[in-house]
Amino acid sequence: MFFLTYLTRELRRRSRQAIFIALGLAVGVGLVITVTAASAGVRNAQAGVLKGLYGVGTDITVTGKPPAAPSNSGTSGSGSTGGGTRISLGIGPGGGQICTNGRCKSLKDGYTLDTLAPENNPPLSAASVAKVRGLHGVAAAAGGLLLTDNQVTISQNPSPPTSFTVDGTDLSQPKLGPLSNAALTKGRLFTAADATKDVALVDSGYATSNSLKVGKTMKIGGVTFTIVGLVTQPQGSNPADVYIPLARAQTVGTNGPQGKALKNQVNTIYVTAASASDISALQGAIAKALPSADVTSASSLASEVTGSLASTAKLANDLGKWLSFLVLIAAFALAVLLTMAAVARRVSEFGTLKAMGWRGRRIIAQVMGESAVVGLLGAAVGVGFGFAGAAIINAIAPKLTAILSVATGQRIATPSGVVNPTSSSTVSVPMVATVSATVIGVAVLLALAGGLLAGTFASWRISRLRPAAAIGKVG
Amino acid sequence: MYQLTDVSKEFRRGALTIPAVSHLNLTVSEGEWLAVRGRTGHGKSTLLNLLGGLDRPTSGQVLLDGRDLARLGDTALTRLRAATIGFVFQTFNLIPTLSAAENVEAALVPLGSRAGSGGEAGAGAGGSRRQRVATALDSVGLSDRMRHLPSQLSGGQQQRVAIARALVKDPKVLLADEPTGNLDTDTRDEIIALLEKLWRERGLTLILVSHDTTVTRRAQRVAVMDRGHAHFE
Repeated sequence: MFFLTYLTRELRRRSRQAIFIALGLAVGVGLVITVTAASAGVRNAQAGVLKGLYGVGTDITVTGKPPAAPSNSGTSGSGSTGGGTRISLGIGPGGGQICTNGRCKSLKDGYTLDTLAPENNPPLSAASVAKVRGLHGVAAAAGGLLLTDNQVTISQNPSPPTSFTVDGTDLSQPKLGPLSNAALTKGRLFTAADATKDVALVDSGYATSNSLKVGKTMKIGGVTFTIVGLVTQPQGSNPADVYIPLARAQTVGTNGPQGKALKNQVNTIYVTAASASDISALQGAIAKALPSADVTSASSLASEVTGSLASTAKLANDLGKWLSFLVLIAAFALAVLLTMAAVARRVSEFGTLKAMGWRGRRIIAQVMGESAVVGLLGAAVGVGFGFAGAAIINAIAPKLTAILSVATGQRIATPSGVVNPTSSSTVSVPMVATVSATVIGVAVLLALAGGLLAGTFASWRISRLRPAAAIGKVG
Repeated sequence: MYQLTDVSKEFRRGALTIPAVSHLNLTVSEGEWLAVRGRTGHGKSTLLNLLGGLDRPTSGQVLLDGRDLARLGDTALTRLRAATIGFVFQTFNLIPTLSAAENVEAALVPLGSRAGSGGEAGAGAGGSRRQRVATALDSVGLSDRMRHLPSQLSGGQQQRVAIARALVKDPKVLLADEPTGNLDTDTRDEIIALLEKLWRERGLTLILVSHDTTVTRRAQRVAVMDRGHAHFE
């Protein structure tokens, strides 16, 4: 009881100083909370972008390495598949003609050439999935086929070719791959029974712009698929337009126009590591097991994300953390100096208490109690500052953009060597600074630590006080 | 009560050694009133600090009821001060944020439960804390000023609170360092009269330091400190 009476009276007497110390701690703590909230917002935004690319549970992705480019590239209207097959398409007065390695086939006017083939990454054997799954440190692995459907209609008045992306999804591994991140907006998701059926899920954005609805059909690789559901991917992701069962993608898809079917082939393997700390080692092990594949972890992928999102992440991580660290140190120093100054003014008081038989630790407990209350006051105000800072960031922060560079899979020979061109897509990412309970807890502990640190220095001073000298008279 | 044998106290200021008390021999009987006077800087307060266990001698023995204060550990010395010795200072040394009653109560804090629990029901052998505080303030004539802060009291009243604080724990010894040094003549006389009354009533051993002969001549015995040495009048 006396402890509390003495404590409150002292704090009231030094209220201006106590408020000043508490405000100093509050500014430091508030800045830490704000920067941490902003960092968390940026991290969540980054995670959203990466999740959108490869799904929720994917730690590592394995893709087929693009083949080396031939020394002379094809001319307009012709191209080559990954296996070096030369294809040309021509349209004449009587119709069209498609030639594969010199063997030509006539196409009637009105004929639609519908090709479902890998665009970026060449296929890997489905056995690679089993090989990866068997590696130590792999919790789960699933194969997928990322394909592009190109449709060209032979006509004297040709309309521009259309294309959309198709993701062949392994239905036995629903927690891996891009579809794992999708939310159903209409219809239903795939079931295990759909594995060999011609059913499709369509991205709701793509469905809207192409008037596609649940129950309707659409041509994919020349085969009619029934749309069973519409899905949406998180904002900031780069979703496929259509999802079909992997087994059907392997049957319908071909290795280029007039090419072979992709039976037992995948071009992306999604891997979940058994432990987050194993990812780097696992990345190396997969690269060793599959030398013809590119192995990418989420962290290495994150480094390829540029744009304002990356800049903000760098700003939050570098400048923000250092700034809050420095402010916190300054606040701690301020608290220590002001508390020491207060103790210096109370030397005679503490000397009198010692003369009356107060033990040093009883006096120290009194001062520590006062410092702890100031620290808690700083924490309370600092949490308020932190929430306000996060709210200000959310109110004024512009929408961030992430630029994702994706390899086109082509290799072009130039006089200075072979180059691998990439295509980049820009996605808009909302950043929401969020204050978590953990951050609040840490902030409260920080402020309390600041107060107690100040109290500790003061206690050190008190413990060294000789009562005779403290009372102030040596005759 | 007190037996000081060949006590010396030196202070070091860098390379300089300042002797404050030199080879002092002194005996103070239980219930005696000893006044110590002398000029400033001649060792009066140092002697008082040694008697109160606030400082340790450089050499010699300071026995209080047979216990050598120079050899007692810090904890034992602190306990001894808490229970046995009361101090009164020239500048009163009251805690400015606490009321008169709370200042007096502060002296009972180190005694813990021995000083009563602080509640009405917690009265021990010496009564509850509140009762003891009230009695102490009543004995110095300040029962109507219990809730006043030091800043709301006159100098004489503040010194009365300081005397109540020193006596609330029923000490055997009261050490007073220039208790009237900051008071006017009338108030000085009141305080000295009060100390004399309490000394008589309680059978205290009173050791009072003052340079004021009006004060010291009320004592049973007067020691004069001169360059660290004591001689008796």
